[in-house]
Amino acid sequence: MAGQLSGAVSTRSSSRRAATLRLLRRRLIQAVPLMLGVVVINFVLIHLAPGNFLDVMTAENQVSDPATVELLRRTYGLDDPTWLQLVKYVWALLHLDFGFSYRQNMPVLQAIWVGLPATLLLMLSSITLAFAVGVSAGVVASTKVRTLWDTVVSVAAMFFFAAPSFWLGIMMIVLFAVKLGWLPVGGMATIGGGGGLLDILHHLILPTLALGLFYAAIYARVMRASMLEVAQLDFVRTARAKGLSRTRVTLSHVLRNALLPVVTILGVQMGTILAGSVVIESVFSWPGIGSLLFDSVSSRNYPVVLGIMVLGSLVVIAANIAVDLVYMWLDPRIEIR
Amino acid sequence: MERFAFLRRFTRNRGALIGALLILLVTVTALAAPLLFPTDPLRMVGPPELWPGEDPAFPLGTDSLGRDMLAMLVHGARATLLIGLFASAMATLIGVSVGAIAGYFGGWIDEAAMRAVELFQTIPNLIFVLTIVVILGSTLHNIVIAIGIVSWTPIARMTRAEFLALRDREFVQACRSMGMHAPGIIVREILPNALPPVIVLSSLVVASAILFESAVSFLGLGDPNVASWGRLVGDGRQLIRSSWYICAIPGIAIMVTVLCLNLIGDGLNDALNPKLRDR
Amino acid sequence: MSQISRRVFGSGILATGLTGTMAQRSWAQGEPRRGGTLVATWGGGEPQACYVPAGGGSSPTFSSSKLFERLANRQMSGEFVGELAESWKPAPDFKSYTVKIRQGVTFHDGKPMTVDDVIYSVNEIWKKYAAAPALSDFAGIAASAPDTVVMTFNNPTPEFFFASLLCGGVNYIVPKHVYEGSDPVTNPANNAPIGTGPWKFKEWVRGSHFEYVKNESYWRPGFPYMDRLIIRYVRDPAGRAAAIEAGEIHIGVFNPVAPPDIKRLTATGKFVATSKGYEESVWSTTLECNMRNPIFAKREVRQAMFHAIDRNLIGKTVYYGYARPGTGPIYSPNTAFFTPDTYKTEFDPKKAAALLDGAGFAKKPDGKRFTLNLLAAGWFAENGKIGSYVKQALEDIGVGINLSVPDRPTSFKRIYTDYDFDLAISNQSNPSEPVPATTQYYTSDGIKKGIPFRNASGFHTDEVDALVDRIKVETDPAKRKDMVVEFQKIITREAPLLPLLELESITIASTKVQDHSNDPNYLAASWHDIWLAS
Repeated sequence: MAGQLSGAVSTRSSSRRAATLRLLRRRLIQAVPLMLGVVVINFVLIHLAPGNFLDVMTAENQVSDPATVELLRRTYGLDDPTWLQLVKYVWALLHLDFGFSYRQNMPVLQAIWVGLPATLLLMLSSITLAFAVGVSAGVVASTKVRTLWDTVVSVAAMFFFAAPSFWLGIMMIVLFAVKLGWLPVGGMATIGGGGGLLDILHHLILPTLALGLFYAAIYARVMRASMLEVAQLDFVRTARAKGLSRTRVTLSHVLRNALLPVVTILGVQMGTILAGSVVIESVFSWPGIGSLLFDSVSSRNYPVVLGIMVLGSLVVIAANIAVDLVYMWLDPRIEIR
Repeated sequence: MERFAFLRRFTRNRGALIGALLILLVTVTALAAPLLFPTDPLRMVGPPELWPGEDPAFPLGTDSLGRDMLAMLVHGARATLLIGLFASAMATLIGVSVGAIAGYFGGWIDEAAMRAVELFQTIPNLIFVLTIVVILGSTLHNIVIAIGIVSWTPIARMTRAEFLALRDREFVQACRSMGMHAPGIIVREILPNALPPVIVLSSLVVASAILFESAVSFLGLGDPNVASWGRLVGDGRQLIRSSWYICAIPGIAIMVTVLCLNLIGDGLNDALNPKLRDR
Repeated sequence: MSQISRRVFGSGILATGLTGTMAQRSWAQGEPRRGGTLVATWGGGEPQACYVPAGGGSSPTFSSSKLFERLANRQMSGEFVGELAESWKPAPDFKSYTVKIRQGVTFHDGKPMTVDDVIYSVNEIWKKYAAAPALSDFAGIAASAPDTVVMTFNNPTPEFFFASLLCGGVNYIVPKHVYEGSDPVTNPANNAPIGTGPWKFKEWVRGSHFEYVKNESYWRPGFPYMDRLIIRYVRDPAGRAAAIEAGEIHIGVFNPVAPPDIKRLTATGKFVATSKGYEESVWSTTLECNMRNPIFAKREVRQAMFHAIDRNLIGKTVYYGYARPGTGPIYSPNTAFFTPDTYKTEFDPKKAAALLDGAGFAKKPDGKRFTLNLLAAGWFAENGKIGSYVKQALEDIGVGINLSVPDRPTSFKRIYTDYDFDLAISNQSNPSEPVPATTQYYTSDGIKKGIPFRNASGFHTDEVDALVDRIKVETDPAKRKDMVVEFQKIITREAPLLPLLELESITIASTKVQDHSNDPNYLAASWHDIWLAS
């Protein structure tokens, strides 16, 4: 009996592992044409732009000799037809070569690498904040429907959902940095001497709030609705009929299932959060890839712009795969297609 | 009768009612902008950095160049609402077309359409908008196009789901057996039934389009001939130590407008999808 | 050698109540203190490379000028003195100059600096990148002795011009053994330069700072005083203001903070603000008319554009008083050549309207005379603001305006390559020597499609071309000045392109910083003598 049971469990877990692997393979195969699409769209788009980086480069270097310009054009492969440049780019990309940034005089990947940790830190802290605040607020509101708590959460969510994050950031700078002097105006570390963990956390507070509260508002609303919906489902009623305490039912049965839509949204929004962090970086002079992106767009430094787009899209795809896996883990009933 | 039921359900949501009234007010102000402030709102008309209330001639003060904040705010309402509406209309047009065709025909068409949707959802949206605006140039209609291009995907998904649910219903099959062509069935038979949830989504896209536009303008990539709210916030950024009201006021305008649009979206949801209204 | 016109530069101190003329030694107590670290910043971002052979803008000029040196240097007094050159002397026909090179100077890698390095730098760097337009008459350079080179020209070359060349921009002496046989633009040494300057490159932490250390074998005995120089980059003015206020940055050149913060910082008494140190690199904001548009065929129409604009208002609002109206192509701090006696396009909308009426552009029934595309180059935020004011001012005299504020590459392309504008708001920064930096905006050989900061208006007349040709070769300083005065009169009258404003650049420093802002282009000076009081 016991042996049978454990055998069943192990079959089940191995079949789950197989399902997970199947899912991973499927998703990775799907990701390839997706990435190709991202590259093609952005490549074509960027090549439509008036002025290329040679214009900027020759302008900054005051290169007037047409022969020199022609030489540079050839050096950077700009005399090839666009489609050939695209093919060459994709081919290089397959070898993890994102190209060379003439402006930083270093490979694109290296240039992006300089700002990537700061951006990822900001994204991660904002997601954590949004998830923690949003989920708990949603749970509180749903367990206390139509009370003051519910109203407070709903109203707060409405406001943070409507406030532009850059504006919220500026207003918080006015209050907490300029008027009260509690927190720094911007940057990631105190200039000179700074850079310790506490110092960075101190600088991280305002940008995290500015970026994270918008998403916290979304998660709170979704979580509340989702909790209420799950609470109506049969298995919850059964659990409650079995005499389990309300809190226990909420935490062990409802919460786990109610998290599913929040996780889905989180995955879908990964790209939005990345883009949002670019704006917040500009408000708080956060040394992430945002400044690199603006500088690269405004100097028509295509390889870097493309590189950021491609890496950003990779982050989104990876997040979506992760969401699918979390989905499987949260809800064993789900067999993904 | 049906119409009254809709109104009754909509107005039962008090938030939606307040939202609708406020948006009406913003719209009227926007329409009346040329009457209220007949000259170009970007004109320098007074001393710079007057605080609100300091001079009755400028109830909301002036910005760093001595331009009337109230005039810019009122004219900004026009630009902001127009951008929101047109961008949403564009997103709806693309989204409904793609979603309807994908949902109705299914098969490889559906597969291709959904891959395209996925593709556009993969590219970080605001970065995409910024790149498009930089490339096409900072004019009002280019900003509308850029926002439309990144906002259509949820509408396409929703429309597709509705079409998938509706295409095999009896009334559609009846049309088909009567020899009606696909375009006719899509536009005249299925679409009207699929629209209610799409309308809700479109109203929410208006709100998000306004947020997009404000971010674009805030970053200095807006149309320089237009007093958009986001641009006012961006212009005031350097002065937060001395004159933070320059940032605060237009930001509040954006927030209130977006808030009201969201409330209206909720109200429409209640009114158009009665089966969901008790959630 | 440097017996050139050497009148003292006009004091650049503002009338806005700034304290601080910290440049004088009198403030320093006793002997300079040795040792310590100085942290500096500037009002812009990190450069694309530490050294850009063609200059590459203010940022790489700032970072490279502490590591490399030029042959000569111009003092605050207006006098030219030798740096890596000991002296220079023209031939009687002014077609060649004999330059004596300083001996005993070594590069940071220990190799001696010789005439070979000078010849290489002039031929391969100056002629091709750093000073190409100025060297249009350059015929060659050769060593005449182990410590002497002779530079020859196809035409007589005035001494002021030659001395300005020796101390101009990024006309550095670079090590031949590092650059020979490579493409100087992409040479990796540009990111870790090896020069002769008082500071040695140590490290570049991207996104943050450069660290330079004292050059122990610097040729000026006893210099530099300090052990380390950090050039730190902070992206926004508010962050710079906070860092300066907290004492984390000692000195910021070229408008490090927003104008309202200047007053706040100086009011504490712990900081000084000065507009000294920019006399050789005055920036201006210009308006130019595209002569390809037939509307601008008559000079009265061009003059009307300038008469319609209240430059004092722009100075007061957009620049918070840190600017003065520009009058002509030569800027007022340029005491060697400036004349106030020019055609005045003062603010007078009635006169502007009358000029347009007289030119045959009466108001049509819709209230407009004609409509123009106004392009404000988006590389400075102020240009966009000025654009919206100019739009308003011109609409007041019945000229319809479509304003666009494109970003940097698009502005480059539309103004200097496609000539796709009717009116353009741009910027320029010119040294005292008017040829070619200033004159190439007005001559036919300055029309170079695709090259920014040249003649984009398309203006050219035989009169101006001939006059500039004469200025180029006139070796008598007094006669030359008369010609430049004549040039200013013609240009202000023709008004194809004129400065709207001359900008006041500001340096902010802690009161502890001594002996700074003592060079007419301080951003590009070597900073060998700066020190920090305790």
